[in-house]
Amino acid sequence: MRGLAKLAWSEFRLTLRDPMTAFWSLAFPALWFLLMVVVIGMPIPGFDYHGQGFASLVFPASISLVILSTSFIGVPIALTTYREAGVLRRLRVTPVKVTTLVAAYSLSQLAFTVVGVAVVTILAMGFFEVRILGSALAFVGVLFCAMVTFLALGSAIGSVARTTRTANIIIWSAFTPMLMLSELFMPLSLLPRWLQPIAKALPLTPVNTLLRDIVFGVALGDLWRFGVLGAWAVVSLVLTVRFFRWE
Amino acid sequence: MAQQTLALKCEHVVKRYGDLVAVNDVSLEIAVGEIFGLVGPNGAGKTTLIEMIESLRKPDSGSIRVLGLDPQAQSVELRERIGVQLQATSIQPNLKVKEAIGLFASLYRKSLLHPEELLETLSLADKANSRFRKLSGGQKQRVAIALALVNDPEILFFDEITTGLDPQARRAMWDLLREFHGRGKTVFLTTHYMEEAEALCDRVAVIDHGRIIALDTPANLVHNLKAGTKVLFRVTNRAVASAEFAKLPAVTRVEPKDDGFVLYTSDGNATLQELIRHADRQGLSLDAIRTETPNLDDVFLALTGREMRE
Repeated sequence: MRGLAKLAWSEFRLTLRDPMTAFWSLAFPALWFLLMVVVIGMPIPGFDYHGQGFASLVFPASISLVILSTSFIGVPIALTTYREAGVLRRLRVTPVKVTTLVAAYSLSQLAFTVVGVAVVTILAMGFFEVRILGSALAFVGVLFCAMVTFLALGSAIGSVARTTRTANIIIWSAFTPMLMLSELFMPLSLLPRWLQPIAKALPLTPVNTLLRDIVFGVALGDLWRFGVLGAWAVVSLVLTVRFFRWE
Repeated sequence: MAQQTLALKCEHVVKRYGDLVAVNDVSLEIAVGEIFGLVGPNGAGKTTLIEMIESLRKPDSGSIRVLGLDPQAQSVELRERIGVQLQATSIQPNLKVKEAIGLFASLYRKSLLHPEELLETLSLADKANSRFRKLSGGQKQRVAIALALVNDPEILFFDEITTGLDPQARRAMWDLLREFHGRGKTVFLTTHYMEEAEALCDRVAVIDHGRIIALDTPANLVHNLKAGTKVLFRVTNRAVASAEFAKLPAVTRVEPKDDGFVLYTSDGNATLQELIRHADRQGLSLDAIRTETPNLDDVFLALTGREMRE
């Protein structure tokens, strides 16, 4: 993994030099949180908030959005734009390994995810009285699993798609269903019965559900949700190794 | 040549793309410390061959050994020890020049102790804090060379390094290559500028349609043409056939060129004198008469019947 730290660090700084990307990935989830809580701010009747406000429901959804808008978009776009510009081709004649390269781009995006999560958390806990009633350690653990899975998904998209155009098509055709079906807006129980298993199998659903359960201090009974995340991670890594191309 | 003094050995290397045979049965050996040039027109197979040697493409058949290593099976080890400048590549556009040097140096097991000194050598010191995308074409090319040098490579591969550079920048590039060569290093370059191959290379391989059609020192290639001098001129007052000049003394070959003729001759003086007498007798008006010693362009023309750049 020689060169990993330098590659990751330079990639992190390069992302900062592109302010639009940095703004989009960091500000979008925070703005979404504010929009939901302040402007819409309408608790779902009959939903058990465990003594907290509507913001405690929007909080885990916003964290899911952070993960979606950093790793899931950032990694594949970095891979395809560098492939198209011939940057990967240039790196290929150095001794750097594919795994090092993908790990470096992932680490750089991870940093943005962490900052994005921190922004949303400070906003929610500092200004909207959201409390994590369950274990904070479990919260961090779920976050970690989610990040690994979505970084792997991002790498897979960046490997399967050869061009930024294709990557964008894949990203957005996956982004929208996850936004609609992963309980970010509405509970699974409101979906048609046939759609519910599909929604449960999407990678963002377990993230959102597990985080919400921890915020409300509900026991983590459904451990199979970690299996969903793990399965997506494994499939993604296999796809990355199988389909990665330098040019 | 003994195995340990060979920097590169290719044996019967073939690469096909569909029906096109891009590289057709190429064999060559390059000694450590040589500057070797691969010349030929665009599409002749230069880039395909150099990229197979650099481990980027897999030959369909034949064997390649670089520093004794198999570029496919031992690619990582090979990439540690070679420096490569590629056509049609870039680095991260927003990366600053000195960051790029540091980043690439960190990818190698062994790199120059002070890679930033390369910026001085390549007159890039004042661009150290500029972003790559803001640089001119020549500056980008020099950054590419700096990056090829960060691991203090044993062999440098340059693919069309001076294409698109102004004459001054090209001269500077030549000086740099000679300096590198002076430290006992091997250089493998491709070019479609014959004068570049002539000025730099110890030996030159001429490649056309994927085949090596000549391989020797530039001086020998020219000498073997057995055409000591060229006499060039135009006839301004009437149409004449090139056969008319073939009988002049010492002339070995006549080529029509542009709107005039080129006489290849083993004795420039004799041919020139007789040409002028012949013109007097026949009432031809000659214009723009001059003599040239032949160069590698003539070698290519003689070998293929075509101009290098057309």
